[in-house]
Amino acid sequence: MKDQRRGLRFPGGRRRVAAVAALLVATAIAAAAIAATATGASARSNGKPTITLATNSWEGSLANNVIAQYVIQKYLGYKVNLVTIDEIPAWTAMVQGKMSAVLEEWGHSSQYSQYIKKSHKVADAGLEGPNGNIGWYVPTYLLKQHPELKNWKGVKKDWKLFVTPQSSPQGQFLDGSPSYVTNDQALVKNLKMNYKVVFAGTEAAQLTEIESDYKQKKPVLFYWYTPQYQNQIYKFSQVALPPWTTTCAKLKPAAINCAYPPYHLYKVMASTLPKTAPPVANFLRRFNWTANEQNSVAYNLAVKHMSNSQAAAAFASKHASQIKSWVSKKTPYTKVKPPAAGT
Amino acid sequence: VSPAPAASSVASAEGQLGLGLDVARLGRRLAPVFVFVAICIVGISLSGFHKGFPAHWVLGSGVPNWFDRLDSWVTNNQSSNFFLNTIIGGIGSFLNSATNDVVNGLHWLTWLGVITLATLVAWLVGRWRTAIFAAVMVSSFGILQIPNGGPNGISVMWEPAMTTLALMAVAIGISIVIGIPLGIAAAVWTPVSRTLRPVLDVMQILPAFAYLVPIVVLFSIGNPAGVVATVIYAVPPLVRFTEVGIRTVRRDVIEAGEAFGATRFQVLRDIQLPLAAQSIMLGLNQVIMMALSIVVIASLVGAGGLGDPVLQALQTQDLGMGAVAGLLIVFMAMWLDRTSAALGRRTTRDADSQRRLTRRQLAAVWGAALGVVLVAHYGLHLGDWPAGWGFSIVDRVTNAMNWVTTQLTGVSASLSSFLTLHVLNPLQSLLGDVPWWLLVAIVGAAAWVRGGPRRAIVLAGCVALIGLTQAPVGYTFQGTTSYDFPAWSDAMVTLSLVIVALTLDLVIGVPLGIAAYRWRAVDNVLRPILDFLQTLPAFVYLIPVVALFSVGNLAGVTAAFVYALPATVRATTLGLRAVQPGVIEAGQSFGSTRWQLLRKVELPMARPYMTLAVNQTILLVMAEVVVAGLVGAGGLGLDVVTGFSRSEVGLGAAAGVAMVLMGIVLDRLSQAGQLEGGHRQ
Repeated sequence: MKDQRRGLRFPGGRRRVAAVAALLVATAIAAAAIAATATGASARSNGKPTITLATNSWEGSLANNVIAQYVIQKYLGYKVNLVTIDEIPAWTAMVQGKMSAVLEEWGHSSQYSQYIKKSHKVADAGLEGPNGNIGWYVPTYLLKQHPELKNWKGVKKDWKLFVTPQSSPQGQFLDGSPSYVTNDQALVKNLKMNYKVVFAGTEAAQLTEIESDYKQKKPVLFYWYTPQYQNQIYKFSQVALPPWTTTCAKLKPAAINCAYPPYHLYKVMASTLPKTAPPVANFLRRFNWTANEQNSVAYNLAVKHMSNSQAAAAFASKHASQIKSWVSKKTPYTKVKPPAAGT
Repeated sequence: VSPAPAASSVASAEGQLGLGLDVARLGRRLAPVFVFVAICIVGISLSGFHKGFPAHWVLGSGVPNWFDRLDSWVTNNQSSNFFLNTIIGGIGSFLNSATNDVVNGLHWLTWLGVITLATLVAWLVGRWRTAIFAAVMVSSFGILQIPNGGPNGISVMWEPAMTTLALMAVAIGISIVIGIPLGIAAAVWTPVSRTLRPVLDVMQILPAFAYLVPIVVLFSIGNPAGVVATVIYAVPPLVRFTEVGIRTVRRDVIEAGEAFGATRFQVLRDIQLPLAAQSIMLGLNQVIMMALSIVVIASLVGAGGLGDPVLQALQTQDLGMGAVAGLLIVFMAMWLDRTSAALGRRTTRDADSQRRLTRRQLAAVWGAALGVVLVAHYGLHLGDWPAGWGFSIVDRVTNAMNWVTTQLTGVSASLSSFLTLHVLNPLQSLLGDVPWWLLVAIVGAAAWVRGGPRRAIVLAGCVALIGLTQAPVGYTFQGTTSYDFPAWSDAMVTLSLVIVALTLDLVIGVPLGIAAYRWRAVDNVLRPILDFLQTLPAFVYLIPVVALFSVGNLAGVTAAFVYALPATVRATTLGLRAVQPGVIEAGQSFGSTRWQLLRKVELPMARPYMTLAVNQTILLVMAEVVVAGLVGAGGLGLDVVTGFSRSEVGLGAAAGVAMVLMGIVLDRLSQAGQLEGGHRQ
């Protein structure tokens, strides 16, 4: 038994071994012949730490990172990795020092108070520029026949328009990813609307559903937000909800009966970054652009299928002075504005 | 012709033997009815005829609250607690550096070195075909490129493929180190086996989404979290196969060893382990397949690799990109599957059928391979696969998928609305309207019939516990978390999905399995398709499924159905093949036609395997419930996803517990039938 187990058995015999050895040698020689096409390994690691930026599940987040990566690598000489990760784990990673920064935060007031105000593990890097706007939307083509859909009262009246097999016998309100904090279930209940909130489960599934309805010009009512590059492709109109007030902001989540609060999108970074990579931290504090600029980069990435470096170069060729200002010491840091409570 | 009528006439003759026997039998027959009535009476007296589960029956401050408290304790004590800081932190940094070392090693080998070694290993353990297959599969990581698919926008997928390979290597290595000793321990000491079994059940049924957040909190993002999640999911089959392999070694062989004076340890080392080798190899093969099936999940916690382009494609609804990235994962799975399967065959094949490689020959082959590696690295300065050597089929795949979707939309939309309105919605509202105690009573009675009083108590208890995992309405924790978790009604939504997906799988899968058994050609066509469906990450077909069936329950059912179908077909074919030829010949000699034979002899004989098929299908459908949550089928799947993506540990964990309870009930109910079927044979 033992003797048989020692050494591997193989089909064929000595001749085949010779064949395999010859084949391996031939491979090496063939590879040598084409060595000219292969280039050496890339130069890296000059003592500077590698910067990691969190890419969240929406395309705008990637657009921010692509530009920041371009600037940091080209102007500041640090290597930048983009890491795909969900919003809350990204905070945990910054606390642990595994993530350098996140360039677009929506709300997250509880994380803000816990990690920025209390434990100081994460630092506020100022406002990003665009204001986030969350709300209820319908495709604009619906407004021709149903102008009343501009307002929540019209939506409440026309629930029959939005009945689907899934929501039957009620109207369907299409929500997206469960990771986005929503008040839609509370709104439907507190505004006494005959709707069923259906979570698509992912933004991709939600968007697929909206697109398929859009192509057939069918009615659809959904949770949506700006800045979003899809708004350059599709025409959506926002439904006016009862206006957001500070009294409404203080209500418990289940009692909310007004529109979503305004979001001042902001940047955060690991609190160690200003010490380990001061130029990067300073750049991140100065980084600031508009919703249109972000949308155009996101559009180039997602719709035109440009590579990250192509999209960044396309942006840089038109915005050279803007990029210079982000790395110039004379430019003041962007303002700091904590997110509204409960967002 | 068939033995059935004869058997029943024997039974009725027995019944006429005497009154005493009849009473005992009647008692046994009626016991489940008594159980059913008793549970109903208790239930009615506790909560009346209200539908569903009483909302105020909450365990303490709610099951989610336990997990939220635990999470908050861990977060607050992470840096001060010795266990969390030193032990867990140490494991985390070990896993991180181990994975990074393997990644660096693979890059050091250069693409030529990796291909050479992969081919050589495949050739040593298998045949020329295995070797060529390995070479082609590994080369595909370089050749099939995805524009903007890799990290930082590169299009050659070699680097992400090596990242995934390294993660797999570390996870599989750790699974072996943990799984085989645990399996041996379980085989030697029955108490260990008894303790391990429910733990393994939980590890297999609990969706990865439910433990991703705790893993990130404990081990941080990236490699460690990816490895830990993969090991938890992949290790159970190895433990099980090792235990079964050792336990099924024939008694007489062991006795022979003992007769020669072997100690217990010697018997284990020299007799049981070698004879269990094939079973262990089968377990290892399963580990590889399971590990590759959660590559995308590992990417959710920042581990990178081939899962990244799949997620990125989902984000931009890029059908082609997702499909090609999924294809590369399938290719990696098939390469590792074929190679490890060949290794499994080799460990058991008798020595005469093949010759041995002498040490010198072995040294020559390895030496030549080493030469290739050294020349590639130092002589040629090769690195990762060169960008120019490949092409992209992403656009063509996108167009093809769009075309197919457009062609099918009309049919699928009407099918979808019919099934949703007339099957799923009625079933869902029916299950939602059933009072909790009725379901407990049904499960209790069924479990009694299947497995006796103990099983009845356990399973009925599990059903009731599902309802008790709920959170109080408007639950909040430390002012930061707030959600509703109506465990019972969400579980009923999930149950309706499982029932419909299971039915579809059996209605379509069993005939396909029979056809594959009957006609070799069908088998040949089906096999690669099933391989593909089994290893393709579900994230790849989320978008097409939504495009065809619209967001909602039916999309969820479809995803679960597709995922479980291969197992149904395979178990059916396997069961029919296991029917002994002697029985079939006997049938033929009685002049049965081919179909009579199938219907009267082969299918009944294959019954234990059929119940195994049902059991496996149920478990796989349960595993896909979370994915169903990602395409708009609510229920427990959506709760688990929500818990993960909002980092609401309590919600995710409580929903995970409810899913485990449901999985255990369904598993045990179907398994009991399998055992009974086995006795009847």
